[in-house]
Amino acid sequence: MICPCCGADNLDGVDDCAECGQSLSDAHLPDPPTVVEQSLLADHVPVLAPQTPVVVAADTPVRDVLRAMVDAGTGCVVVADGNRPVGVFSERDALVRLNTEAPALGGRPVSGFMTAPPETLEPDAKVAFAVQRMAVGGYRHIPIVGAGGELAGIVSVRDILRYLAEKMGGGPAA
Amino acid sequence: MGSRLSLNTETLQQVVTLDPICLDPRTPVREAFERMKEQQRGAVLICREGRLTGIFTERDALALMADAVDLSLPIERVMTPDPVALSERDTVGAAITRMAQGGYRRLPIVDADGRPVGFVKVGSILHFLVDHFPATVYNLPPAPHHSTVAREGA
Repeated sequence: MICPCCGADNLDGVDDCAECGQSLSDAHLPDPPTVVEQSLLADHVPVLAPQTPVVVAADTPVRDVLRAMVDAGTGCVVVADGNRPVGVFSERDALVRLNTEAPALGGRPVSGFMTAPPETLEPDAKVAFAVQRMAVGGYRHIPIVGAGGELAGIVSVRDILRYLAEKMGGGPAA
Repeated sequence: MGSRLSLNTETLQQVVTLDPICLDPRTPVREAFERMKEQQRGAVLICREGRLTGIFTERDALALMADAVDLSLPIERVMTPDPVALSERDTVGAAITRMAQGGYRRLPIVDADGRPVGFVKVGSILHFLVDHFPATVYNLPPAPHHSTVAREGA
């Protein structure tokens, strides 16, 4: 019996997958899911078309980071050491940690205001997992990190919205 | 929980964030900055005689910080006037569509008289989705090859 979740080959008749613990019976499954639900469970992060993030070094003055965000039209930059993300700095961080003091604090390094360590996703994570991470953590951007810890992109909540809108439009009962 | 995900019938009453901050158009921008920080809001509404006339978001705040704009300006000079707004009777699906089209992460909700009721935030929509996922989602490993270390005891 092949586990539909992880693909492991199990002995016939077992109730749960020996590899990942998923139930192998279908008795527990709820009503047939909608198109949106099916998609969230079947699709992986690459379908969200992750963007290439704006990347800055940890010692970049935060004033330059603000400028780069506005010029790039992005609400979040990845702070990286080489190609390894060490934090993220978002417009929420700017509002909470700089606020009216932005001009006075502008010369300080972004590392003092970023959120670290960053929440990250693996490239083969399911879309449902990305949605759950964003909902639980309150994040609107999550960097994608490859097996070697290297930065491979960034998923934003806008990508998720666009994906949901497409799926709702693509099925009869979303 | 466990109910079907029906984005085309669930209304925004399910996901509305009530009690928005409403400011007079002459309020100095500095006060908007301070109140957004103190009350942990990503946006404030600007109202004239109780009716929605503008919105000011953290995206707008970022641009002002980058340009080191004088924060004593009245907020009506830097707000986005006449923002897209929805009704509480609109569906979650309609909000997703409008947000995706306009690149918005929050939309104000107004009553029939244009008086602000609250916001629908993208984070609330994600929470709504997570709450309505089948329970099995929570047991899914993040990636297929990511197996659990040990099976839990019965």
